[in-house]
Amino acid sequence: MKNILIVAAREFRQITAMRSFWMTLLILPLALSLGPIAQRFLSDDSSDRVIVIDRTGGAEARSIEQRFAADDDRRQLQKLSRFVQRHKLEKADPAAPWASHDRWYTAADIAQFRASGGVKAALARIDRVKSSETPDYEPAKPSYEMIATPPELSKLPDDRIGNAAQAYLKPADDKAKPVDYVLLIPRDFGASPVVQLWARSEARPSFVTAVQDVLTRDLRSRFLESQGVSPQAAQAASVIAPALSISSPPPGGGAREAMLVRSILPLAASYLLMMSLMLSGSWMLQGTVEERSNKLLETVLACVSPEELMYGKLLGTIGVGLSMILAWTACGAIAGYATHGVIADLIRPALAPLTAPGTIIAMIYFFLAGYIAISVLFLAIGGMSDSMREAQGYLMPVMLAILMPVTFLLQAIVAGRTGILVEVLTWVPLWTPFTVLARLGMGIPTWEVIGSGLLLAVFTAASLVLVARLFRASLLAQGQRPNLAEVIARVRRGGEAG
Amino acid sequence: MSALSVENVTKRFDRTLAVDELTFAVPDGQVFGFLGGNGAGKTTTLRMALDIIRPTAGRLTVLGRAPGRENAPDIGFLPEERGLYRNMTALDTIVYFGRLKGMTSNDARTEGLVLLDRFGLGDNARSTIDKLSKGMAQKVQLATAVVNRPKLLILDEPFSGLDPVNQNLLEDEIRRASANGTTVIFSTHVMQHAERLCEKLLLLARGRKKFEGTLDEARAQLPARLSVMAKQPLNALPGVKSCEPVGPTRDGWQEWDVQLEPGVPAGDVLEACTERSIPLRRFDERRASLHDVFLQMVGPAEARA
Repeated sequence: MKNILIVAAREFRQITAMRSFWMTLLILPLALSLGPIAQRFLSDDSSDRVIVIDRTGGAEARSIEQRFAADDDRRQLQKLSRFVQRHKLEKADPAAPWASHDRWYTAADIAQFRASGGVKAALARIDRVKSSETPDYEPAKPSYEMIATPPELSKLPDDRIGNAAQAYLKPADDKAKPVDYVLLIPRDFGASPVVQLWARSEARPSFVTAVQDVLTRDLRSRFLESQGVSPQAAQAASVIAPALSISSPPPGGGAREAMLVRSILPLAASYLLMMSLMLSGSWMLQGTVEERSNKLLETVLACVSPEELMYGKLLGTIGVGLSMILAWTACGAIAGYATHGVIADLIRPALAPLTAPGTIIAMIYFFLAGYIAISVLFLAIGGMSDSMREAQGYLMPVMLAILMPVTFLLQAIVAGRTGILVEVLTWVPLWTPFTVLARLGMGIPTWEVIGSGLLLAVFTAASLVLVARLFRASLLAQGQRPNLAEVIARVRRGGEAG
Repeated sequence: MSALSVENVTKRFDRTLAVDELTFAVPDGQVFGFLGGNGAGKTTTLRMALDIIRPTAGRLTVLGRAPGRENAPDIGFLPEERGLYRNMTALDTIVYFGRLKGMTSNDARTEGLVLLDRFGLGDNARSTIDKLSKGMAQKVQLATAVVNRPKLLILDEPFSGLDPVNQNLLEDEIRRASANGTTVIFSTHVMQHAERLCEKLLLLARGRKKFEGTLDEARAQLPARLSVMAKQPLNALPGVKSCEPVGPTRDGWQEWDVQLEPGVPAGDVLEACTERSIPLRRFDERRASLHDVFLQMVGPAEARA
């Protein structure tokens, strides 16, 4: 055991002395901290500017404006609700719609919100109960800004609007603010369903849907009136819609957003396992190849057995991987502290899985077992290769075999899909650690965790035995890169006493 | 007690017979030479002694114990193919191998510094191996082998690739180790080193033992030759196998190349000359070199391999 620790310590020191180790260690926190800054620069949170030329008298333009306002209020309510939930500010007005969370806000909720004074009044109530440490709420910006129709545009005949609209959509003057949409509702709208839209770039689906929805109702109302239905009845019929009673389950019961938050930690564990494995595994492989190519193996093997050497390397690599994860976690904690708990508030729901001891045990087990099971493969490659170039030949297929399904897996989990692919990946030991870790937040049956865990244990034990044989037989072997038959022969030879 | 005892050891790699029924013993405290051409089985035998590989049949004992890593604290080993961790410092490298041989970190560090000083590398203790010249790195490797003051020092082709300065340094270290009671086994196919250093020799060819004994015993395997200046041939004397003239006669004196029968001492021939009143102007014994013995025993083709 002592020799294993000495080898592990050397392996650890060698890897952590590499420049690439420190660069990699710093890249992730740096990328994560720069991400939000970059996003702020890249994201366009200004409202889309809209001109509606309504030849029917202005009723259609008003309907569209009301629809945009309703949609904006719903988004405002959702954002405000999340803010109130995060900072536990429900006592500001327990009866307000924004004090009940994770639900769909109906037209009645929106009406109540408006009647009580909108966001301004809500914030005034919240300010009365919020502590000085709680950050200020940033109201959601309206999605659309209605621009008064310029007279020179409204005077033009319909067939010339298209050309004239280009001057507003793509103004020649760089300082002029462009308009995003120009919508023409012709005088004969109703008799004819044609409406024209000019957009600065590809039209947002939400914009088209909202406009289409409003105008469809009006068309239906006009049609009913033409069929002899009274204007009041026609108007009432056009707004008939099912009163959808949408109830969202509490977090943990299937609500997607809440489940996604709960999955952050398990998904991060799965991702970190993949990242640190690929990195530390590659460094270990590099070290093993160096021992072979630098012809120092015989000196080492005179002092330690091949098994001690292998386990020492494995232990050193696991140490490197765990140190990386520890460093990244510490960076996260420091960031949480430095931002006065804002990040901590964000990730608190993500820590929910850690309240269950079973989940903690499962996370630790699958992380460590996964680390050993996959690292062993890198070790086998290193043991068989005389140069990094030769090692690359084995490494590429192994990396692809691990990374590609895991990439799909993480996307599937984020999208909330748990189909046959996820089931298959759960039971193939090469991917079991990543899959089970990723699924822990979304919910995975206990029998699957235990069953796949046992299978992984058997796989890990078997790979340790077989790779130890391969390692022993390959260390002093020379010649061509071994093919599959030679690998099998070495595994057999390594198992013999002599 | 034998530092290394090999009894009927055979090692086979697939269809290749590397060592064939080999038996020999290395007495404690001696400098023992392991001679043979390439592929003679020297490295394979040494690897079996170190438990890097295991014999197909037969038995080895090292310092009275079965081969194994538990012997590492008492063994120093310098392999034929040498290399070190390029990014480790010279001192850390020595400490690492010292610790693998059971030394404490402090002891290994202290002994490492002493060795580096002795090898003229005191100022390079903190330099990484990739910053050292090849000769310097070879000295560091030697230091890793002797850092634990081993009871048994195994050197596989230690002189190959060394410059003359380092060859002298290595010879000195071998003598120093031997003077301190260390048993030294080294394999070589450079006979001059063996002649200078070894007390006992083992000659191998194709995995089989051809000879085991002292240097004198090895030389005795070949008939002695004499260079004699006399007026008459010595063919008639007992123990003389042949007597051929060399060069022209001068004033009746002729130089003769005399080959003796195996095992006949030159002194017997001199005594016979005196008894028969044969006048002599010169009587030189030309002893067979180890190189001659090697060529004679393993054959020129094997020696070239």
